[in-house]
Amino acid sequence: MRALLVLTIAGGSVAHATLTPLVSIAGVTPDLPLIMVVLLALRRGPEFGSLSGFVTGLLQDAAGGGLIGVQAMTKAVIGFSIGAAGARLRVSQPLVQVPGLVVLTIAEGLARFALLQIFRFPAPFGELMMYVVLPQALCNGFVGAAVVLALAWAQTVRGRLEGSRA
Amino acid sequence: MKIRKFVLLGSLVAACLLLLTLQMRGYGSAARDAFAVVTAPIQTGLAKASRATFGLWATYLDWKNVRAENRRLREEVQELRVQGLRVTETSDENRRLRRLLALQEHLPLTTLSGEVIAREWGGWIRSLTVNRGRGDNVPRLTAVISPSGLIGRVVDVRPGVSIVQVLTDPTSTVGAHVLRTRTPGIVEGDPRGTLRFKFMARDGASIQTGDVLVTAGQGGLFPRGIPIGTVRTIDNRGAALFHYAEITPAVDFARVDEVLLVTGDAQHDLTAFFPAGG
Repeated sequence: MRALLVLTIAGGSVAHATLTPLVSIAGVTPDLPLIMVVLLALRRGPEFGSLSGFVTGLLQDAAGGGLIGVQAMTKAVIGFSIGAAGARLRVSQPLVQVPGLVVLTIAEGLARFALLQIFRFPAPFGELMMYVVLPQALCNGFVGAAVVLALAWAQTVRGRLEGSRA
Repeated sequence: MKIRKFVLLGSLVAACLLLLTLQMRGYGSAARDAFAVVTAPIQTGLAKASRATFGLWATYLDWKNVRAENRRLREEVQELRVQGLRVTETSDENRRLRRLLALQEHLPLTTLSGEVIAREWGGWIRSLTVNRGRGDNVPRLTAVISPSGLIGRVVDVRPGVSIVQVLTDPTSTVGAHVLRTRTPGIVEGDPRGTLRFKFMARDGASIQTGDVLVTAGQGGLFPRGIPIGTVRTIDNRGAALFHYAEITPAVDFARVDEVLLVTGDAQHDLTAFFPAGG
């Protein structure tokens, strides 16, 4: 199970960079590793959330060619926050999932921008927010909700299969 | 337990800050190289796998499109073939009708054009049914011709249709003569569906194969000079009074579709109006 998780985190992050053109929707690419980190953090808690966020972000940074550590830090913090708040969040409703992921993506975007500013990496705020962060946030919201629903459906099917075997 | 979580987060954040600081101070390339050593083979493998998968998918889609296109093109070819046949048919009909019209316009006779709508080809009777009948004032025994020559005569007139006895009918006889030698005789049909020319031996000594036979025009039924056929073989019966010649009909009775009914006066020599007579 752990090996599978490691493979999911590592492979998913690298795959995201490699297969980005294939998963883009109308030119907007969902941040699949972020969605993955959120889901893992919700299921496994803040420690796993922060660790998976760190690894995922690190691999994304390395694959992307930017400053290594920016996404590692933002995703680690997000993984930790979601993992810590997980028990208090009602995430089974799409009405929560979509805006939740939108807000998280915007928060991550803002944090990334802040880090880049601190480390004097050039980034135009307005354009980044308008053409990258906001469309990606919306995309993440809907893709994330779809992933959550698909997982819930898979779990139901699995439960039924196990029930019928018993 | 709570502290452990925060310690972990703090460590991760510190590691990130350290990495960022090192990069800003010019030590980033070594870290990137180290990451690249790990991630590059995975990325290469993934890229190859995705390319292969999507290549297969693209090939499948292409194949599907080609198949659909092939089906569409086949249907189109079929449609075009049918259209082509229609065009050929129409063109043939047009050509035949033009010939018929030209003949009708040139002939010094009153004629009525008709279309063959049925054929009786059993052997006992050989006849055509033409779509001109009592309503068109077609008299019985009207001569029926085509641009190629004589077809026969109307033997029965009914409302809307006429029955034409074809020359090859076993009971059909027509007075004829050889165009070149003027040898008179009678053209008879026979049950095999062929034509034969019966002539007196003393008159027909010089008949040759390929000679053209035309109507004699005696009796007032058929105009004179309408081609009947050409001599194919001559049956020399020695001392017998009558000899016979096998005739190839000038008209292909099985394929004739449009005809002219000579409804007016038939007392004309039409030799000059038919190609065989020229």
